[in-house]
Amino acid sequence: MFYVMCIFMFGLVFGLMVVASNPSPYFGALGLVVVSGMGCGMLVGHGAPFLSLVLFLIYLGGMLVVFAYSAALAAEPYPEALGSRSVMLNAGVYLGGALIGASFFWGGWFDGLWPTADEAGELLMSRADAGGVALMYSFGGLMLILSGWVLLLTLFVVLEVCRGSSRGALRAV
Amino acid sequence: MTPAHFTFSTAFLLGLAGLAFHRTHLLSTLLCLEGMMLSLFIALSLWTLELNTTSFSASPMLLLAFSACEASAGLALLVATARTHGTDRLKNLNLLQC
Repeated sequence: MFYVMCIFMFGLVFGLMVVASNPSPYFGALGLVVVSGMGCGMLVGHGAPFLSLVLFLIYLGGMLVVFAYSAALAAEPYPEALGSRSVMLNAGVYLGGALIGASFFWGGWFDGLWPTADEAGELLMSRADAGGVALMYSFGGLMLILSGWVLLLTLFVVLEVCRGSSRGALRAV
Repeated sequence: MTPAHFTFSTAFLLGLAGLAFHRTHLLSTLLCLEGMMLSLFIALSLWTLELNTTSFSASPMLLLAFSACEASAGLALLVATARTHGTDRLKNLNLLQC
């Protein structure tokens, strides 16, 4: 269990290094998929399967799908992946920075002997994260309505930004 | 700083660095922004779980909702850029001629 959590944490940082070294957007989106998968694994290991599945559904299934087909706008004949020199240089600098940062905290990590504690036990139906999210529908009803309103407004924002022929928000489009 | 905290803090800083030093495409900037939002989601969820404050679990969900709004606004701007300049490469955003 401990080694699996280590793999997830390494995968998170390395995946975001791939995204941050700015390869062609196809590979950046692939890196984000890896990062969110590892993040979901971390959440499950800490005892939040509901939030992990919400992340998979909304983030990967909603937002990244939109990013993936928007990557068609970034089409180029020779997409550069991790093999190209400048991307590799960026990734190397980020790796060095992360290692230097880790070296500051290495002493307190006790050579890696730290287990995660999922205190709720096994085979429980109502877990902490799902019960907490249910509060969003009772005491947090105002925030729920506000978020729904903001999402509706965003639809109109997108419509007006992308509208063409100088009648919309951007005259040049 | 526990390893989990270090993980998502490093992830946030890496996304911020990728956002600041973006090279050719505007879309990779938006992807780094999404990476930062993802690290914030994991941060809020892990704080909820590690401090056993389960009433805070709604905050990652609300963060995800607002992050979806922000991503769609960014993509709308990307589409507008591609329609005006023909591509989303940053070298083409040179209307100022300087």
